[in-house]
Order: sequence, then structure tokens, then C-alpha cells
Amino acid sequence: MINDNANLFLIFGIFTIILGVCGFYCIMVTKNFIRALIGLEILTKAVTLLIIAAGYVSNRIALAQSMVITLIVVEVVVISVAAGIVFGVFKQIGSLNITKMRNLKG
Amino acid sequence: MALLLILIPLASIILLNIGFKNAMTKLAIWLSLAVSAWQVAMIIFKVGFDSLNLVNVFNLEIDGLSSVLLLSIGIVAFCSILVGNGTICCPKKKFNFYNLILLSIIGMNGIVMVRDLFSMYVFLEITAVSAFILIAYQEDKFSMEGSFKYLVLSAVATVMMLSSIAILLMYAGNTSFVMVRDAVQGMNSPLVLTAIALFVVGLLIKGGLVPFHGWLPDAYTSAPASVSAFIAGIVTKTTGIYTMIRIVSEVFGFSETIKMILMIVGLISIFVGALAALGQNDFKRMLAYSSISQVGYIILSLGTGTALGVAGAVFHLFNHSIFKTQLFINSAAVEKQTGTRDMDSMSGLSNVMPVTGWTSVVAFLSTAGIPPLSGFWSKLIIVIALWKAGYYWFAGLAIIGSLITLAYFLYMQRRVFFGKINVNFKDIKEAGASIIIPAIILAAITLGVGIFFPYFINTIIVPVSSVF
Repeated sequence: MINDNANLFLIFGIFTIILGVCGFYCIMVTKNFIRALIGLEILTKAVTLLIIAAGYVSNRIALAQSMVITLIVVEVVVISVAAGIVFGVFKQIGSLNITKMRNLKG
Repeated sequence: MALLLILIPLASIILLNIGFKNAMTKLAIWLSLAVSAWQVAMIIFKVGFDSLNLVNVFNLEIDGLSSVLLLSIGIVAFCSILVGNGTICCPKKKFNFYNLILLSIIGMNGIVMVRDLFSMYVFLEITAVSAFILIAYQEDKFSMEGSFKYLVLSAVATVMMLSSIAILLMYAGNTSFVMVRDAVQGMNSPLVLTAIALFVVGLLIKGGLVPFHGWLPDAYTSAPASVSAFIAGIVTKTTGIYTMIRIVSEVFGFSETIKMILMIVGLISIFVGALAALGQNDFKRMLAYSSISQVGYIILSLGTGTALGVAGAVFHLFNHSIFKTQLFINSAAVEKQTGTRDMDSMSGLSNVMPVTGWTSVVAFLSTAGIPPLSGFWSKLIIVIALWKAGYYWFAGLAIIGSLITLAYFLYMQRRVFFGKINVNFKDIKEAGASIIIPAIILAAITLGVGIFFPYFINTIIVPVSSVF
């Protein structure tokens, strides 16, 4: 069902990849809990962009928009729970430094 | 009928939180027990399976595979609620625990009944969010760390799955399983292959298979006892393993690459999990690694791609959720009575805690695959499926993995339950009824499924494998 807009999807895809790499880099490199959450948000925004592009390319923009609205709502829930956990961490160890939290070995 | 399985837990949560705090705190346990028991009864007796067809909003369906999962969700939730009643201290925390379990039941019932990739994502997130809160429940630094690890990895897995969904949406124009299958199967474009790879890797992270298993032991170990029984027993199995079975067999189809990836990941998981479990001193951490190893069997069996292999995977999934929950419940009893999880410091607990000791024997023999317990039959089906599909080496290695399972469980049993009793623990008593009863129920299920195996294979497993 791909129409002539396939090239457009590629352009959006490139931006998605750039945003995704930014997000992953942020999660991997940072030593701060809040920044890790910001990295997760950037990743989600990349996916949101991809879904909208996919919906536009396949002429299903209404479906894609409703998906994105749902996605935003769900993501707010996840991030607020994550912020709650970060707050709990801060209460326990008194710092937002990830390197201070190495009690479990994986 | 299908919609009721989501609406009734939802209605219970709303009812519990409209006010009348004191009355509702007392009501919560009975209501949540009733909801999970109702779910089990509904599936076993097939109450109103066809008669109560409400408006099908989410495109919900119940087939054989869904019924198996719904049954184990009900059983495990029932047992975890009882254990939570026995181990969680104050009434307010208990109240929150029951609510979160109900929320998790909504999510998991949704996952096993939807036939749409995006709806599946929504229900996955419902389950995952309640699991994050449940793990961070004790509010100490360990549980916060375990929860945060699970959260970050789960969010990354979700992002992978969503980008896959976006690409599939572009090709199929919709995200329902049927449309995506028609669009994807037999297609070799690199974009579709990327989408499939992203989705499978996301599910592997969610299920805690070996290259991506880092969060799993931490999350299981740092959670409170009843929560680890619930999460290890059913949450990761539904979010990671059931979804894998459903998506691979119904949507992506068994291509040679997917088969090979699943079998190799499964085999590595079996051995890494089992060998890591051998070296653990912490009771729950050992069970967590054992869980990774058993999940490896399910994925290995799925990787054969035959009807028998899928049936073996589903049967082992059911058995695993029963006996793993039971082992975690036993560890909860031991932890509650002795105050420690260090296996070196205890011995001979069978003398003072006979029920816990002997139900644990049933569960570990079943895990290791000793006849006539349920785990033996599912492993037998898995090995036969591997052999018939022509993977002789994999079948042999699966049997060797099973021997290692027996080794670490015997080592655990000898250190914890058998032998001469440690003087420090001479005066402890058996754990309370709310921990003993679920352990006995689950041991009875393990024994019953093993002994009445012909009945179960005809009523549960054959319908499942006929689907594919």
C-alpha cells in the first residue's frame, strides 16, 4: 500500500534514526537519573515521528493520529511512574548520581 | 465474555477506590481473590463462552492458547494475593498491593486476548507499569534499583516494538494480526526484516532471555516475596514469552532465520541460566536464574516451528508458571520464618517446616523433569519435537541442560531443607496458612497435571496445536 510518498518516509526515517541515536546515547552515557528519563522521552518522540510518517505514507493518517494520541497518554503514565521511582531513589541515597547505585550485580 | 475478563477487574478497582476507606480495605482481599477465582472457574467450566457476546470493542478473542494463559493468570494471581496477605505488613500497603494485582490482571488478560499489535502494546504498558510499582514496593534502595533497571530496559524494548509497529503499519495499512500477516509473509524487503528483528529483540528483552537478561535477577530478587512470585510466575511470561509465541506463529511466520535465532537464544539461555544458578547463594537469585533457564526451553521448543513444538512450548509455559510460582512461595515462607535468604546459613529446615520442604521437593522435581510430574511431560514433548524436526544436537543438549537443572536444585534442597538443622533456627515454626495453602494448591496442580496427563494433553494441548 505504499504510494509515491515512500521517499518522504525515508526522510522521516533518517530523522527518526538521528533522534533515536541521540536518545540511546543519552541513556548510555549519562550519570544522572533525570537525564536518563529525558533520553527515554527522546526515544519515544522518535517513534512518534515514525508512526505519523508511516500513517501519512500509507494514507491512514487518521489511524496514525489516534495511535499517537494513545501513545502520548501511555508514555506520560510511564514517565510519571519513572519519576516517582527516581524520587524514591533520591530519598534513599540522597543523590541523583547513577554510579552511587550499584548494589545489585545483574 | 472476553470483554468481561477486562471489565470486571476494572470495575473492582473502581469500586475499591470510590471511598469508604476502612470498609474497602477489608473488602479488598476478598474482592481480588474472588476476581481471580472467578477467572479460573470461567475458563475451566467455559461459563458463557459463546452466550455472552458483548460488543467487541477491541477485537478480543479467546482461543486455546489464550485459555491456557488466562487459566495460569488466574491461578498465579490467586496464590500471590494469598501470599501477599501473609507477608506484607501494614493494611494500607496490602490494599495497594491488591489494587496493583488487579490492574496487572487487566493488562495481562488484555495481552492474551487482543488480536492487534497496537492494542497489545497498550496492554503491555499497563502490565509493565503495575509491575514497576510492585517491584519498587518495599521502598528500599535495592528495590528502587531493580525497578529502575526493569523500567529503562522495558522502555527501550517498547520503543523497539513501536518502531516495528510503525514500519508494519506502513506496509499493511493496519495493525491487526491478520492484515499484518498478509502484508508481511513472504516479503523480503530489508525494511520488513528490520521491523521483524526489532520486534523479536524487544520481546526477548521483555522476556529476559540471555543476552538481555541483566534486569531479571535484580528485579526478582529485590521485589517483596509475593511480588516476585507474581512477576516471575506470570508477568514476564505473559509480556515476553506468550507474546513471542503468538506473534511469531501467527504474524511473522516461521522463517529459517527466526527459527535459528530462537533456537540459539533458547539454548544459550538454558545453559547460562542453569550454570549461573549453580553458583548462587541467595535463594531468590537462584530461582531467578533458574527461571531464565526454563524460559530457554520454551523458546527452544518454539524455534522448531512445528505444531508439536508450539504445543510443547505452551505446555511448558503453563507448567513453568505453576512450579516457579510455587518455588518463589516456598522461598517467601523460608524468608519470612528465618529472616534471611542466604542458603549457606540455613540447613535442615524440612524438620521444622515440613509442608514447605515437601512442596518444594515436588516443584523442583517437576522443574528438573522427573516423571510422573508435569514438568517431565512438557520436557518430553519438547525433546520429541526437537528430534522429529531433525535437530538431534539440540535435543541432546536440552537433556543435558535438564541434568544441570536437577544438579542445582538438589544442591539447593540439600543446603536449605535437608540435613541437620541449624541451631539458630531450631525454634521456628511452619509459615502461616496463607503461605501454606497456595503452596499446597500449586503442588497439587503439578502432581495432578502429571498424573492425569492424557486428559490434559487432549483437552488443553491438542486444541492449542491445532490452531497452527
